[in-house]
Amino acid sequence: MLSGERSYERCRGSLVGGVLGLMLLASCATSVPPPVPKQSMFLVIPDPEGKVGQITVTNQTGTQVLNQPRQASTVQSANDAPSPPATLQETEIKQIFGEALAAQPSAPARFILYFKDDSDELTPESEMLLPEVFRTVHDRGALDISVIGHTDTIGTRDYNYQLSLRRARKVADLLAKQGVDRKILDIDSHGEDNLLIKTGDQVREPRNRRVEITVW
Amino acid sequence: MRALPVVALALVLVLVPFGAIVGASAPIGLVKVTEGTATVQRGDETLPARLGLAVEEGDILRTGADGRMGVVLRDDTRLSLGPESEIQIDRFLFAPAKGHLALVVKMTRGIMAFVSGNIAKLSHDAVRVETPVAIVGVRGTQFLVKVE
Repeated sequence: MLSGERSYERCRGSLVGGVLGLMLLASCATSVPPPVPKQSMFLVIPDPEGKVGQITVTNQTGTQVLNQPRQASTVQSANDAPSPPATLQETEIKQIFGEALAAQPSAPARFILYFKDDSDELTPESEMLLPEVFRTVHDRGALDISVIGHTDTIGTRDYNYQLSLRRARKVADLLAKQGVDRKILDIDSHGEDNLLIKTGDQVREPRNRRVEITVW
Repeated sequence: MRALPVVALALVLVLVPFGAIVGASAPIGLVKVTEGTATVQRGDETLPARLGLAVEEGDILRTGADGRMGVVLRDDTRLSLGPESEIQIDRFLFAPAKGHLALVVKMTRGIMAFVSGNIAKLSHDAVRVETPVAIVGVRGTQFLVKVE
């Protein structure tokens, strides 16, 4: 394929030479192989939750919508319209795409832990959630954990930035105590700037006093 | 899994923290699965795809005959490649608060499994997979592509 492309380049370069160039072009036209047709296949399958979505396959000559389980369309070349949907068997799909499906990562897991008013102490409910957080971190072989602290809008912006930093560090310490390598912990503090529940300034809102954990 | 009740909150969680950090060289995801020969090409540099390696906009992901690779992007999009495959994450924009949403993946060969994430959820025409012969518009959620 590469050599084909190179000879095509040479032919284009020779165009500069007027009549001679035209003759060369004519000879090139017969010697250059047609572009390699990058035939493609597109296939919709149920997502890990069992839902079937929709994709649209389009090129300059046509469009096909795929929205039924195991519906596939193939496209022979950029000049051929996508084929009408055909339904593939599970076994065919496994055979063609099994290796890609086997490498599919799980989605990140997310948790929210809540805190007592003006404190870096967890609420009792969130305290009870900790074992599940730890288990998830462990079971997934977490590669990166983002820990972001937040506050409600009581107090100054600066104070709240510090408070939510303390909250995030508290959670990071809890994770580290469970054996999590601190190198994979991304600690951040958003203070009162990222409210989960939108409120005005100086409003007590327990749901905004939180740390958000994302386990990658 | 017990993570399911968190799904409703997950969206909010995703919208907020990552809004500010989308840019040319900011991490947009990470390598979560790797096997055999698998590399990430960033400009002139080619890095072995180790677990946890950050993925950036513009990166080219490549696998050899014995290779596989799976990555998770910041919006929860999940991409995985079988052997002899190559894709480029051409564009990744995830700043929902500003309405900046885009994901363009160019695939030149091999097989790929794709599970769309929050970009597709929030915008119906923001996610696109391009192959040499056609373009896929992605509403969601899971689909497969093979380029010969």
